[in-house]
Amino acid sequence: MEDQDILLKFRDPASRNLAFNQLVRKYQSKVYWHVRKMVVDHADADDLTQDVFIKVWSHLDNFRQDASLYTWIYRIATNECLNFLSSKRRKFFLPLNDVGAELAQKLEADEQLAGDTVELKLQKAILRLPDKQRLVFNLRYYDEMPYEQMAEVTGTSVGALKASYHHAVKKIEQYVNQETD
Amino acid sequence: MKTPFRLDEHPRRPQPPLAPPAAEYFDQLPRRVMQRVRPAAEPAPLWGWLARLSAPARTALASVVLLLTFVGSFWLTSRPSGRPAAGITRRTNAARALAAVPRAEAVQYLLSDAAPRVTLADLADTHVAERALPTEFLPGTDAEIQAALDEQPSLDVYL
Repeated sequence: MEDQDILLKFRDPASRNLAFNQLVRKYQSKVYWHVRKMVVDHADADDLTQDVFIKVWSHLDNFRQDASLYTWIYRIATNECLNFLSSKRRKFFLPLNDVGAELAQKLEADEQLAGDTVELKLQKAILRLPDKQRLVFNLRYYDEMPYEQMAEVTGTSVGALKASYHHAVKKIEQYVNQETD
Repeated sequence: MKTPFRLDEHPRRPQPPLAPPAAEYFDQLPRRVMQRVRPAAEPAPLWGWLARLSAPARTALASVVLLLTFVGSFWLTSRPSGRPAAGITRRTNAARALAAVPRAEAVQYLLSDAAPRVTLADLADTHVAERALPTEFLPGTDAEIQAALDEQPSLDVYL
């Protein structure tokens, strides 16, 4: 179902629940993996994914369609992730690296990465990036999102995003090479 | 010599190799989300708007309500009263009712056993409340009363 149809049905109280159910089905996987890449842990990703869709439900009436529905949902998911990581640091008075180390431990415990040392180093290198730079890296590298759309999601200029991604790649390559030596 | 790692030469995956969620996870997720949003979709109760306010807004509202309560109570207690107090009104009504009783009937009542004994406290109260009252029923002028008092033997209150 097209986004426009979903929005039209959502505005009709009789088909509101059905439309929202279809919206969740359409975007749940993308939102979940977008969140999961940021927080690594499935339980956290599950909570945040639900929170994202609850916010979508609450604010969909005010959605002005300046951006696409997909971009708008991505922006909500991005803000939820950044707020979650930020509040986690504040709650436990953790510096930046400690949260990265905690996420890296979760990575090591993940069965999918067992035995793949280069991939594990790559994932650890990604986790060492600051949250916002990691977000930019994920959107570009994994989701292959165009820079213009990334600019809408993150509220950052295209030039700044390109520079951020370029630096992220350099940092990752440097870390993996150091760990390999 | 080892080849340095380059990201664009590394096989790109659509997503990081993290363990995927359980097979039925995405089948159940819409239902779980709907369960959480449905209560909010029901008609809001009278105080629903209060629940929708953020925590700082609720705190600010509570402070304003408390402040208004103090201001209101202060205003109500400090404003000048336009009506006589309830006690004064009651006393006036009692005096009117007593005046309406015929004199003979009142005398008859006072002489009968039904009348309560007048105590010293009652007299004191009457004297304080109505200072002009003795002049209405005490026989004689001020000079005669003073003379009568002077004739009384004085008691040595010090012994």
